[in-house]
Amino acid sequence: MSSSTSSSSPEHGSIVVQNTRKIYFKILLAILIGMGISLAFVRLFTYLNDASGETFLSRVLQAQAALPTITSEPDDLVMFYGSSMTQAGFSARQFDRELAEAGVEIKSFNFGFGGLNPLFQDYLSRRIADGFKQNDRKLKLALVEFNPFQTTVTRRNGALEVEDSFISLLASPQELREITAKDPTTGARMYTIRYLRDGVSAEMITSFFAEPFQAPRPRTELIEDEKIVERRDQLGNELNERFEQEYPDFDGADWSYQWQGAGTIPEERSAETLEVFTEFYKTLRTDYQLDNDRLSRINSADIIDLDFSEVLVESFIQIVKNFQSISDHVEVVLLPKNTAWIKNPPEAMQRMQQVLDRIQTETGVVIRNFQTIDEITPDMFSDTTHLARYSGDVAFTNFLAEQYKAQLQQP
Amino acid sequence: MLFNTPIFFLFFIVFLLFYGFVFLQKTPRLYLILVASLVFYGAWNYKFIPLLVGSAVGDYFLALAIGAAQTQRAKKLFLTLSIIMNLGILAMFKYADFAITSVADFLQFLGYQSSLPTLSWVLPVGISFYTFQSLSYTIDVYRGDMQPRKGLVAFTAALSFFPQLVAGPILRARQILPQFHKLPVPTWINVKHGFLLITAGLLKKTIADLLAVPAAAAFDTSGSVSLLEAWTGVLAFAGQIYGDFSGYSDMAIGLALLLGFQIPLNFRLPYFASSPVDFWRRWHISLSSWLRDYLYISLGGKYSRYRNIMITMLLGGLWHGAAWTFVMWGAFHGLIITTTHYLSSINIFQTFIKSKSWWVKVIKWGVTFYLVLLGWVLFRATNMDSALQLLHDMHALTASVPVAGVAAGLILILTMVALALMHLMDYFIITKSEKIENKPWLFWSLLILGQTICLMIGEPSSEFIYFQF
Repeated sequence: MSSSTSSSSPEHGSIVVQNTRKIYFKILLAILIGMGISLAFVRLFTYLNDASGETFLSRVLQAQAALPTITSEPDDLVMFYGSSMTQAGFSARQFDRELAEAGVEIKSFNFGFGGLNPLFQDYLSRRIADGFKQNDRKLKLALVEFNPFQTTVTRRNGALEVEDSFISLLASPQELREITAKDPTTGARMYTIRYLRDGVSAEMITSFFAEPFQAPRPRTELIEDEKIVERRDQLGNELNERFEQEYPDFDGADWSYQWQGAGTIPEERSAETLEVFTEFYKTLRTDYQLDNDRLSRINSADIIDLDFSEVLVESFIQIVKNFQSISDHVEVVLLPKNTAWIKNPPEAMQRMQQVLDRIQTETGVVIRNFQTIDEITPDMFSDTTHLARYSGDVAFTNFLAEQYKAQLQQP
Repeated sequence: MLFNTPIFFLFFIVFLLFYGFVFLQKTPRLYLILVASLVFYGAWNYKFIPLLVGSAVGDYFLALAIGAAQTQRAKKLFLTLSIIMNLGILAMFKYADFAITSVADFLQFLGYQSSLPTLSWVLPVGISFYTFQSLSYTIDVYRGDMQPRKGLVAFTAALSFFPQLVAGPILRARQILPQFHKLPVPTWINVKHGFLLITAGLLKKTIADLLAVPAAAAFDTSGSVSLLEAWTGVLAFAGQIYGDFSGYSDMAIGLALLLGFQIPLNFRLPYFASSPVDFWRRWHISLSSWLRDYLYISLGGKYSRYRNIMITMLLGGLWHGAAWTFVMWGAFHGLIITTTHYLSSINIFQTFIKSKSWWVKVIKWGVTFYLVLLGWVLFRATNMDSALQLLHDMHALTASVPVAGVAAGLILILTMVALALMHLMDYFIITKSEKIENKPWLFWSLLILGQTICLMIGEPSSEFIYFQF
């Protein structure tokens, strides 16, 4: 390898300057073209694997897109914000029907999302608050789910690989600028993820490839009855067919405005379909399935011991504050717990109570713990955490309607 | 600001625009390099910029004073001042707390209850590298190996040169200073080699980050691990530290080549070493040669050879970190090097050592690699207890089942493939790079492929291991 040198002769100096510009032009061009092509290949890979911000946060982005329509609704607005437990456990139209019968005209929305821990929920709640403020609307009532096992250290660690990606997609341009000002390295990474990588970070692709090498999660030692598995498959197929027959116009949205973010309601389904559902959920509630689900939740979310994450608790407090800024009334709600399978030791309950006390102290919000209400029994769950459709969700929604009827009747 | 992050990419593009198109005269270019390097350094912690600049200014004037001194006594005085300044900075920031806690532990061992106050100072990134680099200048001038050079900006820019500032290679003033006085324009041949090294470095860093997971599974476990997991973990760490550090060095050399500067090789297929002595001729060459030239030789070199090797390696271990595990790692390497020298001097081993037979080579390589791996256990372990536990687990033929089940075997195979791949990459770069660079279709395809892999699975949030030293 050799290198030329600069000289003090003016004529020679001019040649050196020309050569310098020429070589650096080539270097810059090579870098930019090379990076451009490499990035194009990355985009091609994610495209071929159907991986993008939109596919990861589909339900969230659809709900976010519906905000202008929601805020232009003439009726008073109620929003239930939370995790997949809210998504499964709150039937928005059922709630509206129950209240309409009591003479209260409101429109409620299910903003429950799976896969979002409070850190991500905090960013989403800021976007919701932005949407309401822009249209000068307020929620008459906001119910914010506090999900203990979504707020644990284990839960956060399990989502570290998507953290940059989700935040870059959920943050506003102003928030991205603030992140960059505070930490340019993180900021630049987030801009890249959002605007050049279609929401897919390198960590997400790495974890996708690393999946086969992960230690297997603990599984139950119980054995599943093959006949039940077969029957469940049959019933699942039958339910799919019935859905297509009964809802031929459904557009396949993850967050359906038509259903106000929740699923269908029993009144729309035939008696036969509801019977199939009852049997289907029975096949889901075998000891094998439930024990496996419990072990999975312990592994991924520390559902029994509940070692809370400071960052996630702090984020949850911020969520409550975000809703307080756009709501007449905000309450924090703990959804029913499948007590037959989830049994927390006293120390875990004590830790949870400390967190709840802290939330109450820092926000002044009312906290309603519905974990062990009589209206909900273990046979109303589809697994160890989620309420079953047409039984659990209806019972809990009716319970909520009863609880909040008086308050919503007030002008 | 890590080389494998978008922010560095942006920084480097902006720097290139100014360096290649705006500042084309020598003095402004030196100022540009200096300012850019300080911005690069300040991105970690701007509060330590004065320390870096102060160290450069101090050594610059001390070198001039040594050069101008009329008597040997005066020269020695100025050199002593330089040594006190550089090692004093290192001692305060890096070793003070270690010394205090070690004294407290010793007093406790003797039965005295003691709670000595510690400084708890933040360790400035790259301090071990730039103090050694700066010190080499004053020592070289003192020894008459080079004349002091005038030009404070050139010296400070050279010392703080951002490609190699925070994790080396540790450059000698006589290698780099003349280049800063000339500011060479890069040739396209050098640039292409630079691109190749940068891509290889990024790939190695990517592999190193992937290997960090199985390494942590063995090293960060509180209890014992299975035989398979212990070996996987140790091999993974061997790959991680090699990929991480040599990857950084490759990127540093490559970036410097894009700017027209030549930085010598820092790694030369270290795990192909055939003896512990050979390993140190291949691993972190800039540090081992620094220790040889400025410490081992100063101690007397071959006179009292074993003692001098032990002292050099002990201090070399301590250079890496203020912890007893690093001291033990240094001592271990000192021991295996002195043992190698001792065995080499015994007639019975002469035939074996000089043998060209392939099986002898394999045995020598195998034994060396095994010893290096044992050393890495001491290096990576968080304390001596866990190091001993892992060393035990590596040799305990119990039937304990790996946590990762069947995947464990696959991870071990992939770890070995990763190690081989990194060495293969280095082998081609050292021996075949010219051929590759002369075939444009192959060269650019390899570069694009490498960059794509790094962009796809690189983890830009992972720090380089050697930044902590």
